[in-house]
Amino acid sequence: MVEGITPDETLDCRGLSCPMPLLKVKKALKKLKAGQVLEILGTDPGSKNDIPDYAKKQGDDFLGMEDESGYTRYLIKKGG
Amino acid sequence: MNDNNQPSVFNEILISGYQKVFDENWPMWLGGILIGLMSVITFAWARPWGVAGGLRNWGDWFFSSVGIYAQQPQSPLISTNSILTLGLLWGAFGSALLSRQFAIRKAPPLELGKGIAGGTLMGIGSAMAGGCNVGGFFSAVSAMSASGIAMMIGLLIGAYLGLRYLYWELEHLPSGSIKVAETKEKGIDWLKIEPYLGALVLIAAIVCTWIYNKNAYTRVGGLLLCGIAFGIIIQRTRFCFVRGFREPFMTGESQMPRAIAVAVIISALGFAALKYSGVRGENVYVPQAFWFGGLVGGVIFGIGMVIAGGCGSGSVWRAGEGQIKLILAVVFFALSTSLFKAWIRSSAGLTSLMGFRVFMPNFISYKWSLILIIVIMLAYYLITTWNEETEKFVVEI
Repeated sequence: MVEGITPDETLDCRGLSCPMPLLKVKKALKKLKAGQVLEILGTDPGSKNDIPDYAKKQGDDFLGMEDESGYTRYLIKKGG
Repeated sequence: MNDNNQPSVFNEILISGYQKVFDENWPMWLGGILIGLMSVITFAWARPWGVAGGLRNWGDWFFSSVGIYAQQPQSPLISTNSILTLGLLWGAFGSALLSRQFAIRKAPPLELGKGIAGGTLMGIGSAMAGGCNVGGFFSAVSAMSASGIAMMIGLLIGAYLGLRYLYWELEHLPSGSIKVAETKEKGIDWLKIEPYLGALVLIAAIVCTWIYNKNAYTRVGGLLLCGIAFGIIIQRTRFCFVRGFREPFMTGESQMPRAIAVAVIISALGFAALKYSGVRGENVYVPQAFWFGGLVGGVIFGIGMVIAGGCGSGSVWRAGEGQIKLILAVVFFALSTSLFKAWIRSSAGLTSLMGFRVFMPNFISYKWSLILIIVIMLAYYLITTWNEETEKFVVEI
């Protein structure tokens, strides 16, 4: 689902715990234009609920998440 | 019917049951209801739920064993404060293993520093307020102590100030990140083994309870089980009081504030029944902290919990999940709350500055105390829900 998508920006949140990943996502999404894709790398287990929930709440398009070795990759497409 | 199929069907039921409980996180509102119920059960069994008291007992024990305190505290093995907090840590650790969420999680230096600073502030705040977000706010409001409501106001102010700091930090300090080691090393696949270790950890807790019971410490043993139940519930729902006070300002999300409101209402009804009927003493969990200690302690605690990313209960359960930042927060919380409490106790002036013991029914009757608590919690429930839609209180970056 998240294969083959080239993100416009990548946010490395590995090692950060709640609420820092979400705050960084909030800040990064604000800078992106509608339709651009934000990639997030994270290790906090709470993010698996928080990031999709936050994207949906903001009206952005949560494209999916994928477990890599030792961290998780999330993709959000900024809504209009 | 093939008899050979029977065990596999039963296995499937077991596996799907395990997945329901330990694979998916439980909804937050369920956490609110379960914590409210567990709070009443714990009080009915022995005493209200608390977290900071246990940390203080550990801090006291440390300082007395290195010779800084002359007086020895009650042994952490039989102190009910200590056992409840130990149970929380134990339950969260077992639950994290069973859910394959346990890992030693390193954090960049700035984050570790925030764990230390946040833990220290929480220790000071809870010494002033007569408890952390659990003993000073949740159980205290349930116990109809006016200091609990003062602390709630303080926590909201503190959470707002802490969040302003985080926003500032985001603009001015590089947070860094951690290089993740490739986990493809040869040898043991930890994730496969974790659930079995988790089951062992929880079975060990039951054995410990049995040992307490054998030695005529049944009350303590039961509290260990209560603590473990809190640990499992909180880890599975990722129940977080910090969220409950921070989110209205940060994202506007209102699930957690609503879950807390539900938990307090259930718990307060149970506490009122236990106190009114005389089963439990009226002054239990009514600290001498109205209003200065509760309010100012709440502000300091609120800033600390947002910086640390975990409150009293939240830091402990995340420590049980292996997060180094929160392990540091717990250690510094224990040390600072022990020292600060000792300082307050050593001075009559400071003790009286913290405030009075105000059991609300003594002033406005049981009926109106309960109505007041329910109205405040319903108002919090409704205002945060409204805020989720309108984002009136959300602070932009």
